Amino acid sequence: MKVENKPMPIIEVINLKKAYGNINALKGISFSIGKGEIVGFLGPNGAGKSTTLRILSGIIPADSGEAKVCGVDLAEEDGQVRNHIGYLAENNPLPEDLRVIEYLKFRANLKGLQGSRLRERIKIVLDVCDLERKVSERRIGNLSKGYRQRVGIADSLLAEPRLIILDEPTIGLDPRQSAITRKMMERLRGEVSFLLSSHILSEVEACCDRMLILSHGQIVAEGTLYELQKKFIKNTIFQVVAVGKKIELQRKIRTIDSSCELIEDDPVEISGKRRFTFSTNKGESIAEEIIRSLLELNELHVSEFQIRRPDLETIFLRATKENWEEKDIIVRKKAKNANPSNL
Amino acid sequence: MRAYLVILKAEIFALFISPSTYVATFYFLSLLGFGFRFFIESFSFTDWILPPLSSLVIGLLFGSPALIPFITMRSFAEERRLGTLETLMSAPIESFVLVLGKWSACYLFFIIITCLSFCYPLLVLFFFPEQGINLGFDKFEYWTGGGMFILLYGGSFTSVGIFASSVTKNQMVAGMLTFTLLTIYISLMAFSFGETTHENNNNFYNIIKIGLGNLGNGLKKLEQFSVGLIDIATFFNQSAIIIFFLILTTIQINRLNR
Repeated sequence: MKVENKPMPIIEVINLKKAYGNINALKGISFSIGKGEIVGFLGPNGAGKSTTLRILSGIIPADSGEAKVCGVDLAEEDGQVRNHIGYLAENNPLPEDLRVIEYLKFRANLKGLQGSRLRERIKIVLDVCDLERKVSERRIGNLSKGYRQRVGIADSLLAEPRLIILDEPTIGLDPRQSAITRKMMERLRGEVSFLLSSHILSEVEACCDRMLILSHGQIVAEGTLYELQKKFIKNTIFQVVAVGKKIELQRKIRTIDSSCELIEDDPVEISGKRRFTFSTNKGESIAEEIIRSLLELNELHVSEFQIRRPDLETIFLRATKENWEEKDIIVRKKAKNANPSNL
Repeated sequence: MRAYLVILKAEIFALFISPSTYVATFYFLSLLGFGFRFFIESFSFTDWILPPLSSLVIGLLFGSPALIPFITMRSFAEERRLGTLETLMSAPIESFVLVLGKWSACYLFFIIITCLSFCYPLLVLFFFPEQGINLGFDKFEYWTGGGMFILLYGGSFTSVGIFASSVTKNQMVAGMLTFTLLTIYISLMAFSFGETTHENNNNFYNIIKIGLGNLGNGLKKLEQFSVGLIDIATFFNQSAIIIFFLILTTIQINRLNR
């Protein structure tokens, strides 16, 4: 019998629950993250992202469920996990009186680094996070938001962690600074696993291997961008830039795919040509067949054809919308049961 | 142990770079110095039965509600205000070690101030040896007894301050709370000082007295300490108070992280 040697996941969460008083922040979430993966944690405000990240960092305990981080069972030895991870808290709180280098030395000491290894690691993280010597001598309180964020990331990298948890790492950063953060993650891709939460969807789309979408304390979607596109966006949308009449174009397309529909009634004018947007539920293969047949028609002068893939924002809205609607129905049912006279 | 030393070092550094601690230390030592000078000048006209060195200990004891808040108010309140407590707890460190490290730093600072205040009688002994000897500043037992008394109470006072600092994000509120708690503490000691001339039949008074036990007899114990008699019960009482408030602070820190 062949035994599959599957590598142990760096994070394994099963049915994790957490409540703050009457509010259920996490309603039993389960997921796993493999070694070297960069996973984006998405969700609207109050979805439970930060709670999950804080539980996984060993800062707060879960109420129930199982969570293993770097092989450490959080229920049994939550303090141990902090030896293996780097954590950047939301809003990145830092002591303002200290200089960057003093702060990093303090954190390195706290994480058990000493002597030449401490000096070497500080030098490396300053380099990885683009914190030049001049900046490292400045007081943290006098640094810009971008530099402060980089100091926080440098701290999370100090002890060569196997997992780095970043809660909103690029919040408040300008595009250049965000790109530096992305570059830093790219440099460490494969060596270190990243779990990052963010509201900036383009950012997650650009650097994450996989996404987890959380809403109302539940995981509503999980997978690569392609998998999520397939799951949440059933129709294939494609655009045709052509000269010609809408009716003719539509008639021709309908002969190939009767379900294909024109989305925008008034096509967009582009330098004498018009851009038509269609939607079909028969997948990308039919769209390719349509283009071949359109190219055969000389009177249409097709100059551009593009299959438009939905971005993460569309998927995010679709995934969380379903959850909002479900919650809405439950709330309405509860209200009805509580007050039947309103019926 | 490593994490404890790291926290201790960082906290001492933070205390030394904070202007408020310098201002508080300067005013405290100045006032204490003036008070001590006037006391030893007028000592021969008073009916003070204890060694003159004990006046310095009493000055430190009664001045503590004004001094301790400046040392301790920053420790947790500032961390909570900035949100750095979460960052700190993300490192491999136990909350009790964190509390112990911060308390030790504040206590060490208190010890430094105590040592500086003890320089006054030393200066008298150095510049005016005859008067110094007459006042008993050359008696080693007076120094050890008085020093141990104030260090025991300083330990419990700083633990109260650390606890007060953990319950709020506002340094001023933490300082005021420390001042209030220490004033109540010292008031209890002051009011329970001395023996009643007749049997007190007031049940409430008796309950309070039994409840306070040795804790309320601090000033009475000073009589023993100031002549070099070390009271072991006071040592245990104060240690119990220190441990109690440090555990309370740890519970509070853990509660904040829930």
